Amino acid sequence: MQNKGFLRVREIAAMILLLVGVKLSDSTPALLTQKAQNGFWLIPVISFICIFPSFLLMLYLLKKYKDKNLVHLLEAILGKGAGKAVSFIIFLFAFLSMTLDSRNYIEQIKLLYFPESPTNIIFLIFMVVVFLGAKKGFEVIGYSSWIGLPLIKASAFTIIFLVLGDLVLQRIFPIFGSGLPIILKEGVVKASMFAELFYILIAYLATRETAKFNKGSIIAALIAFFEILIFYFIYITVFDYNSVAKIAFPFHDITQFISFGEFFTNIETLFMVFWLFAAFLKFIIFLYITTWIFGVIFEIKDFEPLLLPFGFLVGTIGLLPFNSVINELHFRETLLTIMSPFFIVLPVLLWVIALLKGGLRKK
Amino acid sequence: MRKMKGSQKQNKNKETIHYSLSANIEEMKQSFSYGLNKDFAMRTLKAKYNEKKACLFYYSSIVNGDTITTHIIKPLLEQTGEKLSNIVTIENVEEVTDFETAIQNINSGKVILFIEQDSTAYSMDAADFQHRTVTKSENERFIKGPQDAFTESLNTNISLIRKQLHNHQLVNESIQVGKRSKNEVNIIYVKDLVNNDILSNIKKRLDDIDVDSIRNIELLEQYLEERPYSLIPTILYTEKPDKATAFLEDGYVILLMNTSSACLIMPVTFWSFFHSPEDRYLRFLYGNFSRAIRLLCFYLTSMISATFVAIANFHSEMIPPDLLLAITASRERIPFPLIFEILIMEIAFELIREAGIRIPNPLGPTIGIVGALILGQAAVEANIISPIIVIIAALSGLSSFAIADLSMNFAVRILRFIFILAAASYGMLALTGAFLIIFMYAASIKSFGVPFFSPMSPEFVSTKDTIFRKILKKEIYRPGYLDLKDNRKRSE
Repeated sequence: MQNKGFLRVREIAAMILLLVGVKLSDSTPALLTQKAQNGFWLIPVISFICIFPSFLLMLYLLKKYKDKNLVHLLEAILGKGAGKAVSFIIFLFAFLSMTLDSRNYIEQIKLLYFPESPTNIIFLIFMVVVFLGAKKGFEVIGYSSWIGLPLIKASAFTIIFLVLGDLVLQRIFPIFGSGLPIILKEGVVKASMFAELFYILIAYLATRETAKFNKGSIIAALIAFFEILIFYFIYITVFDYNSVAKIAFPFHDITQFISFGEFFTNIETLFMVFWLFAAFLKFIIFLYITTWIFGVIFEIKDFEPLLLPFGFLVGTIGLLPFNSVINELHFRETLLTIMSPFFIVLPVLLWVIALLKGGLRKK
Repeated sequence: MRKMKGSQKQNKNKETIHYSLSANIEEMKQSFSYGLNKDFAMRTLKAKYNEKKACLFYYSSIVNGDTITTHIIKPLLEQTGEKLSNIVTIENVEEVTDFETAIQNINSGKVILFIEQDSTAYSMDAADFQHRTVTKSENERFIKGPQDAFTESLNTNISLIRKQLHNHQLVNESIQVGKRSKNEVNIIYVKDLVNNDILSNIKKRLDDIDVDSIRNIELLEQYLEERPYSLIPTILYTEKPDKATAFLEDGYVILLMNTSSACLIMPVTFWSFFHSPEDRYLRFLYGNFSRAIRLLCFYLTSMISATFVAIANFHSEMIPPDLLLAITASRERIPFPLIFEILIMEIAFELIREAGIRIPNPLGPTIGIVGALILGQAAVEANIISPIIVIIAALSGLSSFAIADLSMNFAVRILRFIFILAAASYGMLALTGAFLIIFMYAASIKSFGVPFFSPMSPEFVSTKDTIFRKILKKEIYRPGYLDLKDNRKRSE
C-alpha cells in the first residue's frame, strides 16, 4: 500500500461523501417509492437511525482494538476462521453491490446520453477509467476526491438553487405516504443503503492518527445523510410520488427539468460532467476498497495487481442481468434486503462477543 | 575495452608533478597537444624572487590577458619576496600536486605555474569566459517587477541572486558532473532552511550521473528527473533571478551552471508552474484576478476544443437552438467531419507556432500575415474550415500563451490533443474519464518526494498559496511539504 500517512480528515470525509452521497443520483428513489409512495423521502431517516449506531459501534470497537482494520478486527473478535468467513461475506456484499450499482450507473449514462451505444462499450470505457484511477492507490484517490469534491458539490448546490422555484411543498402530504408502518419497515429493510460506510472501515489505518478517520467518517456520514434527504425531498416535491415511482433516474430528470435563464434551457450536460466525476470516483473508491478487503482476507500484501481482474469481473457480471429493470427492482432490492439486518446486527454481535471475551477491558 | 582505456588514462593523469621543470613542461605539452592546439599558451620566464626558471600554462581564449600580465607575469619578473603568494597579486593561489587537477584547472580557465625544482604547481584564477551581458528577460515577461534575466555566466547569475538575498546562510556549493568534460553544477540553498533529505537526494542524483559530459542545465534537467517518459514536468526552469530568489527564500534548492541562462528549481508542485512572480508583485486583488484568468486559460487551452467536439457531436441538445442553427449553417458547406476540422486547425496553429520560433528575425512579420490570412480567412472562404472552428482554435491557441512555463505549456498542448481524441470517441463520458485519469496521474506524481498537488491535498502547513493567494501580511508559514528547518516566515 502506498500509504505514507498523508491522508487527513478532509480526504477521508471526501471519499466517504463520494462513496455514499452519490447515491442520491441513482435509481434508489424509484425502488423506495414502490411501497412507501410519497413518504419515501423519510426512509433514509429511518435507515440512518437504524444503521448509524451500528457504524458508531464499529468505530468504537476499532478504537478499542488498536491498529486493526475491518478484517483484522473481525478476526480478533471472532477468531481467525470465523472472522475470515464473516469478512468474506462482507466482501461478497461489497462486490455484489458494486456490480449491481455499476450496472445501474451504466444504464443511466446509456439511456440519457448515449441511447444508441451498446451497453458493453460504455461499461468497458467506464471500467477502464475506474481501473486506471484505482491503480493510482488509496492516497491519490483521497487527494483527487478532495480536490474534486468542491466542484461536484457546487454543481449539486446549483441544481438545488435552480430547482427551488419548482417545488410544490404540498406534495409531501400525506407525510407518511402509504402509512407509517410501511415506512418504518422499509426504512429498516433498506438500511443497507448506507452499507458503504462499513466497507470503507478497511481503510481505518490509512490516516496517521485514527482519530482523524473517526472524525472524517462521522462528519461525512452525517453530511451524506442530509444530502440524500434534501435531494429526496426535492424529488418528491418536484415530481410527486407517481412520477418518482416511474422515473428511473430522478436526478437526471431534475437536471433536464431546470434551465439557466431563458437562453440556456438544456444544461444537463454541464451537470452530467460533474456527476460523471462523482460516479467515476465512487467506483474507483469502491473497487479499491473491495479489492483491499479481499487482499486482507487472503493475506495478499500487494493486492493492487488484483484491481484489474476485479474490474473485469465487475464489468462482466454487471452485464449479466437482462435489463436495468430486473437489475434494479429485483436483484438490487433483494441484495439490500439481505444486507440490512446483517449490518445492523453484526456490530452489536461483535460488541457482545468482545464484551464477553473481555477484549474491551484490557485496553 | 572502453572502460579499460578510460582507467588507464586516469592512472596516467593521476601522476604527481615532477621535481624537474623540463619534465613537467614535456608532460603538459603532450597532454594539451602544444603546437597543434592553437590557443594553448605557454610562457617561460625567470622568477625574480627565487631566481629560478618558471613556466606558465593556460588557454589564451578563456583567460584575461591583462590580468595575467599585470598580476602574474609582471610581479614574477620584478618583485622580490619570500613566498609566491606574497608576490603575485591575483585573488587566490592554490597548490596543485598532480597533473589531473592541473589539467582540470586549465580547462576551467586557470593559469598553472610550474617552478624549477618544485613538485608543487600553482593554480591561479584568471578565467574570463565570454558571455552576454545581463539583459531583459525575453521569455518570461513582467510588467511590474524586476526585468533582469540570468545570463550564461555563473558568477553573474549568483551575483543577481545575492543582490536580492542578503543572507550569509545562502550557500553556493559546487559539484562536478561529467567524466570527460568536467562541468561544474552549483547547488544554491539557504542553509538554515533547507531540508537535508531533499538536498542529499539532489546531491546523490548528481553524483549518480554517469555520462561523459553535461553541457548545460537543460540537459541536466533530464538526467535528474525521476520519470523521463512522464507527460508532467517535475523540475521548474526559469530565467528570472527574482523568481529563483523567491523559491530560495521558501527553502527550495536551485541549480545553476556556467553555461545556461536559467536555473533549475526543485522540488516543485503544480502550483510552482501555475504561479508567476508577478502575481505577488501585483496588489492582492489584481494578482488574484490574473490568477483567475490564468486558471481559465488552463481550461480553455486544454479543453475548449475537446468540449466543443463533445458537445457538437454527442450532446448537441445542450446548445441553445438559435446558436445551434448558426453553427449548423456555418458548417453546411464544409465537407469534413467536425473532428477533422478541429484537428486541421489545431495542427495548423502548432505549425505557425513552431515555425514562428525558428523563423529568422527579418521574416518574422511575414509568418503572422501568412498564418492569419491563409489559415483564417482563406480556409474559411474555401469552405475547408467553418468560422466557428477558427474561433475555437484561436481561443485555445491564444490561451496557451498564458501558461508561461515552457514545460507545462508543452504538457498542456499535448493534453489538448488527447482530450480532443477522447471527446471525439465518446463525448463527455470519455472526456471526463480522460481528464480524471490524467488528473489522478498528476496527483500521484512526486517531485523529490513532494506530492504534486500539495499543499491543497495532501494538506500541509503553508502560505495556502494555491489557486488564489492571501494578502502578504497573512502569509505566516513556509511550505510545510518541504519539511524545513524553520517553518515560519514571520512571528504572527
